[in-house]
Amino acid sequence: MTTPELAQLEALSQVDELVERLTRWTAEETVWEPLRSSRALLKRVLSRVDSLRVRLEAPLVVATFGGTGTGKSTLVNAIIGRECARTGRQRPTTTRPLLIVHPNADLNALGFPIDDFDVSRVDAPLLQDIVLIDCPDPDTSEDDAKGSNLQRLHQLLPHCDVLIYTSTQQKYRSGRVADELGLASNGCRLLFVQTHAELDQDIRDDWQSHLGAHYDVPEVFFVDSLRGLKEQQDGGRPSGDLARLQQVLTTQLSAAHRVQVRRANLIDLVHSAVDHCRNTLRDYDPELDQLEAALEDQHARLVRSLADNLTRELKRSSALWERRLLASVTQLWGFSPFSSILRLYNAMGGLIASLTLLRARSSAQIALVGAVQGFRWFRARQQEQAAEGRLERLPATSADDNILREAQVLIAGYAKSSGFDSALVQSGSLQTLRKQALQVEEEFLTDASRRIDQIIDGIVARDSGWLVRLCYEVLFAIYPLFVLVRVGKNFFYDSLVGNAELIGTSFYISAGLFFILWSWLFVMSFCRRLRRHLTGEIETLAQSLAEQRITGEMFPALAEACRQARLQRSRLDAIAVTVTGLRPERTGSFGSPRTAARRLVTA
Amino acid sequence: MKRRRSVAAVSLTLGRPGYTVNKRAARQKIGPVSAKSLSTRGFKSVRLREVDRRLIRKRRSKEDPVISQSKTTAPIPNATHRKVDEAPPGERLRECGISVRAIEAAAAQLAPAVTLLGLPALEGREWYRLLREKLAPQLGADAYLVVAVVGGTNIGKSVIFNHIADSPLSASSPLASGTRNPVCVVPTGFAESHELPAIFPEFDLRPWTSANEALADTPDDRIYWRAVVDTPPNLLILDTPDIDSDVQVNWKRADGIRRVADVLIAVLTQQKYNDAAVKQYFRKAAEEGKLVLVIFNQCQLPDDDLYWPLWLDTFCRETGVSPRLVYVAPNDRRAAEEGRLPFFEKPPTSWKVNGASSKTDAAASPANLAHDLSQLKFAEIKLSTLSGALTHLMSDDAGLPAFLREVETRSGAFESAARWLSSESVIKVRDWPSISNPLLVAEIRAWWRQRQHGMARRVHEFYDTVGRGLLFPLRVAGDKLRGPTISPLEQYRRNEWGAILSVIEEVYDRLNWLSESASQLLKPFLERMLAGKSRSQLLEQLRVDHERVDFGQELSVTVNSEMRAFEEGSPELYRFYRQLTNVSAAVRPLTSVVLFSLGWGPAAHVLSPMLAPMVDLGAHSLVPIVADFATGAAAAAGGDAALASGANLLEARFRRLQTAFTTRRVDWLLTRLKDQVFGAVPRDLQTAAEVPRSEAYRNLAQAAARLDQQLADVTKASPEPNT
Repeated sequence: MTTPELAQLEALSQVDELVERLTRWTAEETVWEPLRSSRALLKRVLSRVDSLRVRLEAPLVVATFGGTGTGKSTLVNAIIGRECARTGRQRPTTTRPLLIVHPNADLNALGFPIDDFDVSRVDAPLLQDIVLIDCPDPDTSEDDAKGSNLQRLHQLLPHCDVLIYTSTQQKYRSGRVADELGLASNGCRLLFVQTHAELDQDIRDDWQSHLGAHYDVPEVFFVDSLRGLKEQQDGGRPSGDLARLQQVLTTQLSAAHRVQVRRANLIDLVHSAVDHCRNTLRDYDPELDQLEAALEDQHARLVRSLADNLTRELKRSSALWERRLLASVTQLWGFSPFSSILRLYNAMGGLIASLTLLRARSSAQIALVGAVQGFRWFRARQQEQAAEGRLERLPATSADDNILREAQVLIAGYAKSSGFDSALVQSGSLQTLRKQALQVEEEFLTDASRRIDQIIDGIVARDSGWLVRLCYEVLFAIYPLFVLVRVGKNFFYDSLVGNAELIGTSFYISAGLFFILWSWLFVMSFCRRLRRHLTGEIETLAQSLAEQRITGEMFPALAEACRQARLQRSRLDAIAVTVTGLRPERTGSFGSPRTAARRLVTA
Repeated sequence: MKRRRSVAAVSLTLGRPGYTVNKRAARQKIGPVSAKSLSTRGFKSVRLREVDRRLIRKRRSKEDPVISQSKTTAPIPNATHRKVDEAPPGERLRECGISVRAIEAAAAQLAPAVTLLGLPALEGREWYRLLREKLAPQLGADAYLVVAVVGGTNIGKSVIFNHIADSPLSASSPLASGTRNPVCVVPTGFAESHELPAIFPEFDLRPWTSANEALADTPDDRIYWRAVVDTPPNLLILDTPDIDSDVQVNWKRADGIRRVADVLIAVLTQQKYNDAAVKQYFRKAAEEGKLVLVIFNQCQLPDDDLYWPLWLDTFCRETGVSPRLVYVAPNDRRAAEEGRLPFFEKPPTSWKVNGASSKTDAAASPANLAHDLSQLKFAEIKLSTLSGALTHLMSDDAGLPAFLREVETRSGAFESAARWLSSESVIKVRDWPSISNPLLVAEIRAWWRQRQHGMARRVHEFYDTVGRGLLFPLRVAGDKLRGPTISPLEQYRRNEWGAILSVIEEVYDRLNWLSESASQLLKPFLERMLAGKSRSQLLEQLRVDHERVDFGQELSVTVNSEMRAFEEGSPELYRFYRQLTNVSAAVRPLTSVVLFSLGWGPAAHVLSPMLAPMVDLGAHSLVPIVADFATGAAAAAGGDAALASGANLLEARFRRLQTAFTTRRVDWLLTRLKDQVFGAVPRDLQTAAEVPRSEAYRNLAQAAARLDQQLADVTKASPEPNT
């Protein structure tokens, strides 16, 4: 296999790949209205692309295009070198398109509605490789009503591969023709010809600069068709630009160039369709941004309110804090007199608290029970609720129903204006939203518990170091030591030596009483010490909780749809980059549209 | 807190009280001049066309001799034209000027309503532009003629204009769509005796300084004018931008000039005579009764001698133009540049396809366009174009009557849409929280206290003080146990906010549903309300308002008005109540129980902490149970029928108070919803539905009817010419 052949095959496989990618892109389901309509449009374009791919190797179809009286038929005659199209000075002259083919050509292979054409078979060397169509004009019909020239032209255009755009000094800035060219040039190579060279002045520079805004114009031919025809009929060769035009048609549209031209057309078509869709989608950017901002906002609001509630309750639940702190301290200290007392105190407190905890009601309580325990408890509770089929708000959820309602009302509005199916929000109803909020809260609480654990560890580490412990243990031990010394002295010395009486029960009762008081004093002072920094810590915690990132979503379906919309858009952008990369620099003398079409022919 | 189910209906009521009465009255007032009656009579357009035709016939009969005669004689001085002006039809037409100006004023007044109805703006309507740019300035003015050279781009309009003006005032260029702004030549002295800006109201008039000015692109529409000595008197000649290029502002300016003009010099070429853009332009000109002179420019003579009658035939058939004069000019670039392009006049006999020889004799003396123009019969043409414009203005299918009908139809559609909306938008407010009983009772007591005097008051105060003193430790203990509680009013505020949100939710659901099934007419209104931005504004505003509400004040206002009504409405009951209170001061414990059954009194506070020392339940949730129990006990203990019935009456009374309060609150919400969500929408809809009953519309219809009448007189006054 030779290298050019390989290159061509590679070029074709690139096109196949592109079409494949686009097809995949259009096949996906979406709930976003603009995306859906864009995809519908692209599907239509792809069907036209498919028909182009089918006839990739068929002879190229070259058609004339231009205002009435600009000499389309005359130019066709001049190109062929004999009179086969009827010309005239009455407008419009041509109403039925004329198909000029080589006698050997197979008309059915072209895939045209042949009945709509006048067919002329001419044995001209130029027609070996191409099919020529003399088209009706786009500018005498006021609309494309049935039977009008414009309608006939519109039916023809999707079949054309190359357009010879003719114009004159009078008509080169005609608004109607310009509009129609914008429509027709999608997926066509263009040749620009100024006709009536015998009468008119050369306005090619001005024309070229005007066309330049929308088209890539490599060159403009300036043709005197009448003289050219005459020269050929006299047996000579045409002079001037007509000869060059014929040259371009024979050399650059030969069988060898077919695939190249069609590929360029195909990519142009895809390019303009993709651009069109991207513009459509881009129009929704502000709305999408607003929706995402609103989602973010509502989410932040929910987290903030959760944090507020939690902080308030944490501040209130001093008993629980105390227990957690004490448990932590005793765990750290292991066994010692004072820590035993603390443990005892804590155990008593825990006994009472467990009653409360069995029916723990507030998030603070759950959070304070500790990460592991609290999470397990929360889960169990949730499962129990789900099992009962009651999706009512858990007493544990502190997310305010009102906040959820407000969020729902707002988000529904934003979703609607940015083109999302309102079912995404509405179907949710408050029940589902509560469930979602509960999930957010679960995550929130898990995180909060972890932080509280950290705080407790921090406080314990700071406020119960070995020095503190030593102080407390020593000071606490004074009283028991004193009692022990007193009793010991009485037992071992006084009663043995001094024959004094053993200390009576009343002593032990009062000693026990004072021991309790002594312990209480120490426990209280220690608890006080532990609680000393608590308020400050809770404030910092509240701050960090309100700012934390919770990944859970209140409107997961909508958020997902938003993400999908963005993703699909960026994928289309990526396709657009590929398409732009595939566009050929310039194919010979042919021009092509520069920008996305204002309207698209999809049929 | 107990939630009582209160139901209130919200409805977007659009109609005002007495709506139907107003409507009927309005109908009667404008009865004879409504658009429908106009159109059923509907002969004015026919009549006007008759006037037109007669005028045309008249001038056709005189045409040839006048032109041929005037070619040899000096131009007819102004005085002769004046004579024609005094002819009855002209005079009558001037009278129409008053009506026309009335129509203009009324139409301007109606403009906001047109926007509201979603109809195309007046400025986009041909009849209105004609009214403002042609009829208003020119009806009643003297017979000057506005002549405009018009046609497609790059076919030599400026060249022909320069030939007529006899000097290169307008720059011509081989490149297309050169002329961007019109250039105007006026006779010397004309600018002093006339207000030029009034003649061209849509244009900014600037004195001409150089030929290239017209080529420059400007954001505003300008006319460069210059007084030229040789211009025929009372003739304004304009070069206009093209009507078919890709520069759309040119079309707009050319359209503006067309409306003002009386005579159009149509420049056509073989390439462009059948172009859609050209045909559309001249069709409008024909409808407005403009006089058209046709010049076939850039002809390949003598080859095209065969073709131009065909072109003319197609052009006339497609556009409905019947040209007064036809010229043919050869494709001779040098002659055009040097200002000596010959125009060959073609007599009407040669216009027919296959008619008499249409051969152009190159040796024949070419026509002088400016001279031919000066020979036109100014007054007659003026009359014709003005009546053409009037015809268009009053034409049944595109003019003012059609507009009036359009407004009525659209307005009717709005009315039915608004009715549909108000009938479909009834939603029920459920689950509105009721205010806690203790609060209400406390308020009633306060109210009663104001009315009591003497012994009763003192006894009450004593008991209250004692009660408060006794309750104080309990309350403090309760607070300590439960943590700080929110006040009942605050609790109510929260509950009510929840209820408000669910109402808003329901409102939006309903609106959403409505917008999906609404007609196209209502959709924009509904979509506007449903947008996320307007929702967040509403919620924000409502939240702020709601925070600001003083519920204590609300409550006391309700209690006050209800109790007053109670007092005034049933004096016996009041007396009974008074009595009861007086008695109750003595037998306080019993009364307390009775009243307590409604959740009143210190017992609620006393009992709930005692009943729920460990179970941390809100005090209020227990009240109903306790209350029910206590009522039974009291009824059994009392056994007094009168007292029992008194208690029932009180209970009914009490429920009414609750209802009154809820109603008051729901009402508060609805007022705000109407202001915030619906905003201007109901008002807009109502205004839209009532446009045909508005003053502006009536004025317009009346002026139209008057003009219609005047036109009828014009027809009578112009006798059928002998043919």
